[in-house]
Parts: sequence; structure tokens; C-alpha cells
Amino acid sequence: MISGLIPIAYWRNRKIYTRMIGSRCRDCGAEFFPPVRVCKKCGSRNIEEKEMPRTGALIAYTKLTEPAQEFKEYSPIYLGLIRLDNGVNVISMIADADEDSLRIGARVKATLRKWTEDGNGGLIYYGYKFKVIQ
Amino acid sequence: MSRVFIRSAGAIPVGEYWTKSIGDLMADAATIALDAAGPIKIDKIIVGNMMSGYANHQEHLGALLASSLGMRGIEAIKVEAACGSGGAAVHEGYISIKSGEYENVLVVGVEKMKDMDTPRTTKALAMAESADFTQAVGASFISLNALLMRLYMNTYNVEEELMDYFPVIAHRNAVTSPHAQFRRAITVEDVKKSQVIADPIRLLSSAPSSDGAAAVILSAKEGPVEILASEVATNELIIAQREDPLKFLATEVAFKRAMQKSGISASDIDFMELHDAFPVVAALALEAMGISKSGKAPQDAANGRFDLGSELPILTFGGLKARGHPVGATGVYQIYEAYLQLAEKAGQNQVKGAKVGITHNVGGVDTTSIIHVLRRVD
Repeated sequence: MISGLIPIAYWRNRKIYTRMIGSRCRDCGAEFFPPVRVCKKCGSRNIEEKEMPRTGALIAYTKLTEPAQEFKEYSPIYLGLIRLDNGVNVISMIADADEDSLRIGARVKATLRKWTEDGNGGLIYYGYKFKVIQ
Repeated sequence: MSRVFIRSAGAIPVGEYWTKSIGDLMADAATIALDAAGPIKIDKIIVGNMMSGYANHQEHLGALLASSLGMRGIEAIKVEAACGSGGAAVHEGYISIKSGEYENVLVVGVEKMKDMDTPRTTKALAMAESADFTQAVGASFISLNALLMRLYMNTYNVEEELMDYFPVIAHRNAVTSPHAQFRRAITVEDVKKSQVIADPIRLLSSAPSSDGAAAVILSAKEGPVEILASEVATNELIIAQREDPLKFLATEVAFKRAMQKSGISASDIDFMELHDAFPVVAALALEAMGISKSGKAPQDAANGRFDLGSELPILTFGGLKARGHPVGATGVYQIYEAYLQLAEKAGQNQVKGAKVGITHNVGGVDTTSIIHVLRRVD
């Protein structure tokens, strides 16, 4: 089986996937997720780590019936474009969703869930998924 | 600096080639263009392709094509910019001639997607986006476009039916397009009834996966069509990191530069081969170029503004949706189609009196945008 996630890449990014560590520009205060090397607002390289807020609102969503190889067994999967409470946008899977629970403007909260696994006896990958809270 | 002309062009019909390899497809298209060019010496081969390594277990397409054409010793490379690979290859060919270093360059776009099953194709297409932050969270290429389409419809209060006029236009033009994959007309009703893939995107509002190859020979010697400008621009790779996901910055920048460099204005454009991978991409591109007002491109399409024989025909041979979308070949098919229009070889799809045409090829979701301005040489 061809995994979509490269184990060593998952390990590299584990802080980002599990704690939603992004970036903050020390010069202009702009925040980003995932982390950036250069501030996309002012061009500064003076960047520090910043944990993202765990809540936000759904600004778009979709039900995907033909996901890539490594998510095929979980089909359909629900995906959202979420605006976090600090104004940063993030694309994420939506946990525990069905067609009726998703609407634009719904409040959502980050949770830690299983993303996928490398077949029997392989690694299990965990990371953020958002959940509708109201 | 040299001027850049298209000496000849050729393509195989887009479709499903079970008995041919990716090498066969490239060589077939190249041979058509070479035969039409007459006796010239090719100085360089550039191949546009996105996914041959993953899809066909074959890289090094430049050398592969040079070998099969028997062009021993020739310079040959592959250029990649996701679904914009074809346009990017033409751009590199344009720059090569413009520099004065080369006289004749063969540019071939090729993709062979039907060697893969659907989940593998989905994975290959997702490679246009971030491996770590888009693919890893389960987002496929089509799902990103679905999110964008939902955002667009909600922001501008546009009904799904109105979006569906783009595939309707594409399919109507494909009926008489000899190299199109789907030569049949569809209605808005057909689109609405088709299977949902990533709502609101349906089977009939999504470009297909295809096999195909197209070739053009660019030359410093005068030919029937001149390339007046060739511009490439990029947008943020991760669409969630764009200040406004509904702003197609790469298309806007490339189009503006292309207009400036070619010295033409939007009103001079007689037709446009647009990158209509999904209706929302066509709409946002037309709006980024200032051809439609924000949120109004679908209404313009419904009003017939972009039909053949109307003010600004688009997708004149069926576009990505109905001509087909062999991703890395698409940008070269567009140049081939613009060549047919401007050389008055477009048959029943001829835009009458066409003098200036635009091609718009995109990699990712407006992540790379390539604009070419072409003019008939009188």
C-alpha cells in the first residue's frame, strides 16, 4: 500500500499537527498557520512560534466522496475552511459530521483525532480535526 | 531580441489510450507538428508534464522523446508546474527563442493519467498542493475547489445552476471539435442531475482525467502566428494562507503583465482559451482579468456573452471540461487551439476574423498562472 503520509515527515510536523503551532511575526504581529519563514504581511524574518486558538467558524465546507488513496477507507470525508478566532484560515477534516450538521457560520472547535494509518501493523497518524460545537 | 512565431502545431485527440505508452503519445503529437513544419532543424526539445513519475513510473521525458524521435545529441528537458506544466513549457520555449540562442524549439505537453485508478489519480493531483499541510489533512485537489466554489456562491449569492453554464458552453463547443474527449452537448439540468464528487462540484462540473499530447514548434523565423507575450505568475501555495481566497492573484498579475508587454487591450481579444478545470476557476479567472465584475462571471456566461459567435468566445474547442484535461498537456493544447483559430484552421469552431487570442493555463488553484497572447501574422 502506498501511504500518503511519509512517517518521517509526520514526525517532523508532529507539533503542528497535534498542537496547531503556527507563527507570529515579532515585528507586525501577524499570525500564520501552518508556520512561515517570512512574514507574508511585512516581509520580516523575525518570526516566533505561536499556538493557534482552538475555536473558530466554518466559512466553507464540502463532503468528499473520492478522497486520495490513504483516506479511501474513511470515505466520505468532510472538509472545512475554518476561520480561527485570531482571523487565520485553516483547512481541516470535520469530525463527527453529517450533511445536516454543516452550515456556513457554524462554531467549530479543534480536537485530536486519527487521520489515517499505514495498513495492518503500520503507523497510526493523529492530528487536528474540527468539530461543530453549535 | 528575436520575435517568436508558431511555425506549426499538432495534437492527438484527447481520450483513453490503453494500447499506448506516455512515450508513444508524445512522439505521435510531435510527429504531426514536425511533418507540418517542413524541413527544419530543431535545436531544443521542451516537454511539459506534471505526473509521469507517479503515474507512469517514467521521468526523464526530454531524453525519452529525443531518443524516440531519433534526434541524437539534442538538448531536451522536462518542465513542471502542476496542471500549468504545458503552459510553462511553452513559456520556456518562448524565452529560449527570445534569447536568440535557439532558432527552432519543439514544445510537447503530455499526460497519461489512465494508467492509474481513481484514488491514485486523486493523490497525483493533490501533489500540486502542500504535501504536509493539504494532502496530510485529507484535502484533495477537487475538495479545495469545492471549498472555493461554496465560498464564492455564498459571498456573491450565486446559485449552483448559474455556475453550470461554464460546462454547458464547453460541451457545446466540443461537439464539432475533432480532438475533444467528450463530443456531446449537455444542459444545466444534466449537470445538476450528475453525481456529486465534492459538493457542490459534480461529475459534469469537473474536468475529466485524460490521456493526451500536443506539440508546437516555435521559431524565430516568421510563421502564421506570433506569440506577443508569455507571462507566468504565482500565488500562495496554500489557499488557506491567501489574504483573500477568492482573489486569483496569479491570473491577475500574469494577465496585466501580458497586456502591457503585448501592447494590446482587453477589447482587442477575439477569443480566450480559459483554464476551466471547475466552474469557479473559470469565473474567478475572468473576474481577475477584469473581463467580468466580481461575482458576475456566471451571469455573463448564462447571458451568452462567452458563446461562439458572441462578444468574447471562450473554450472554443471544448476547454478542459469537454476537450479533456490531460493535466501537463493542457497548456499546449490551448496554444494548439489558439493556433488553429488564428491560422483560420478551426473548421466549424472558427471565430470569424480572429486576430488576437489569449490562453490561460493554471497549476494548482491559481497557484501558477500562465498567460499567452497570440496574434495572427497578416
